[in-house]
Amino acid sequence: MCYICREEEHHDQPVEPPVAWVHPCNCTLVAHESCLLSWIQSSQQDASRAPNALKCPQCGTIYELESYNPRTLRFLNKLNSVVSMAGKVVTVAGVSCVIASFGFGVYIILTSYGAYAVQEFLGKEFFDLVLTEDPSNWPWHAFINLPLVPVSLIISRTPLFEGFPLVPLFLAWTTSPPVQTTERLMTARWRRAMTSGADTPWGPLINWPPSPLMVTFLYPFVTKLYRRYFRRFQHWVMGTEPSTGTTVRRYVWALNDDRNLQVQVDVNALPAREEGQQQQGRPQGNEEQQEVDPNGEEQEAELPQDPAAVAERTIRVTSASLGRFVGGALLIPKISNWMGAILFRLSKYSPLLRRFLAIRPPRTGAPEVFGKWFDSQPWSQMSVARQLGVGVHMALSVVGGGTKTFAECDPVWWRNSVGLGIFVLAKDCVNLLHLYLTKREIETRRVKSRSFEGVDIKELDLLNPPQNPAALPLPTVA
Amino acid sequence: MAVSSRRLQKELTEIKTAGTPCGITLLKADDFQTWFLSLEVLGESQYKGEVFALMFRFDPQYPISAPAVQFVVDDKYKAPLHPHVYSNGHICASILGGEWSPVLSVIAVCITLQSMLASCKEKKRPPDNDRYVAHAPDNPKKTRFVYHDDEV
Repeated sequence: MCYICREEEHHDQPVEPPVAWVHPCNCTLVAHESCLLSWIQSSQQDASRAPNALKCPQCGTIYELESYNPRTLRFLNKLNSVVSMAGKVVTVAGVSCVIASFGFGVYIILTSYGAYAVQEFLGKEFFDLVLTEDPSNWPWHAFINLPLVPVSLIISRTPLFEGFPLVPLFLAWTTSPPVQTTERLMTARWRRAMTSGADTPWGPLINWPPSPLMVTFLYPFVTKLYRRYFRRFQHWVMGTEPSTGTTVRRYVWALNDDRNLQVQVDVNALPAREEGQQQQGRPQGNEEQQEVDPNGEEQEAELPQDPAAVAERTIRVTSASLGRFVGGALLIPKISNWMGAILFRLSKYSPLLRRFLAIRPPRTGAPEVFGKWFDSQPWSQMSVARQLGVGVHMALSVVGGGTKTFAECDPVWWRNSVGLGIFVLAKDCVNLLHLYLTKREIETRRVKSRSFEGVDIKELDLLNPPQNPAALPLPTVA
Repeated sequence: MAVSSRRLQKELTEIKTAGTPCGITLLKADDFQTWFLSLEVLGESQYKGEVFALMFRFDPQYPISAPAVQFVVDDKYKAPLHPHVYSNGHICASILGGEWSPVLSVIAVCITLQSMLASCKEKKRPPDNDRYVAHAPDNPKKTRFVYHDDEV
């Protein structure tokens, strides 16, 4: 009996025409050759059965096949598998190339924005010193720092990272030497005699404005202090108590929300009015969320507690708020540039302001390079202690006063930073004013009553109905 | 076409003459496409007293190709609670996939499933039951099962 089709053939009754039987293994299973061959062929096609295709299911013996398998066929099969492997490689390479080119495009955008931002923030003169417009002059770390600029600008606006904007940027560049353009190299050669190697490439220890490195270190403290005191000021203006509970902030993504929602001041201001105001969905508005809750709690007795109280703690990310958030972050360099320009103009009228901003004429000398000075020192002749002393002095000076390039330049970056600070302060004050006025608007709302002319007197729910409807005063209590 | 019908005819004849093993009965075998058998686990087991129904679906390449086997889930019958049986009745068994061979038969599959149930230690669903059932095809042969647990 064939174990595949279960047809039986008796020894004394042969089937016409004769079919081939085969006993391929060690156990008692026999089969028609055609049945077995079709079984082997079909299971070789199926991925899950292919490993067992040539094995006897009962005893596990391997079947042996004979076939006309000339070298040509074997060669062609091998060729086919090799070419298939190559095809797989090409697929993988192609897909990764596409992805890589997308990434590269994004990188280019980020880097060019970064260069633009640096130029806006540091001023043209400095930009030419440290970067120059031609990317072939850029130092290696520029290619890492520049694309990080827009990223760090945006995330510095999130609550987590308020204190750490652009940290990699500043750290790298406060100490970097001016970029070696061919032009500079040539001028340096010509002035070899004039700039003696003994001139230290760093500025005095304590300098005004403080070196960028110091500013970077102090920045988180400054922001924290500012936030704390401004928050207190805000609470004083709005008449709220700072919330004690943790601000559990949920992010609600409502990108299709086109409603122009009124500024959310307290629980009662439910989104219903179509004013030209947009909802403050930005995380900067977490101050509102915090004060919203205590405000709601105070007024709980008068008005029903609203499920929107929970909603107050969420931050609605609408398409408008997202755009404001990201756009605002990316505008920071431009804004600081404008503010710096305004301050510069103003400083023409006030010598005090000029001193504060430390405005200097643009530098004329060739920029110093660290390496030159380094090489000119008699290091080998100094003792270890002296070497250490010189090294420490150098480090401190760089931290305190900045490299000489920074010290001697017109500190555009300083007035830009100051300008940015003023702008942030002004913006926060304007927001506060907005909040305050909104709150006042809500508080001073009254509903206007109309007279009862033309109203059927019997419809009214009065205790002592008068005869003349016109005599009805405007009601206070019905 | 003829191969599968002839073979199934032979199996049917054998069932009718020699009978089915204990715990297994033939419920319905009117055509050569779909058969129904009932399965009960005898003796002391987790499934004592429970009766299940199996549905076998054959295609024209039977027995070269494996039948599609699953537990029936309707008002009368439920899928057994077993780590290799999903709540929609699909079974994760190697003999229904990679280990299928024409030496097996409908009765052989029933016996194997009977012993699979009988040797079960813990009645529970497969770990990815909900996810599988949500996206499962109608025919269990379309699923690429991964057979990892061999002892159960």
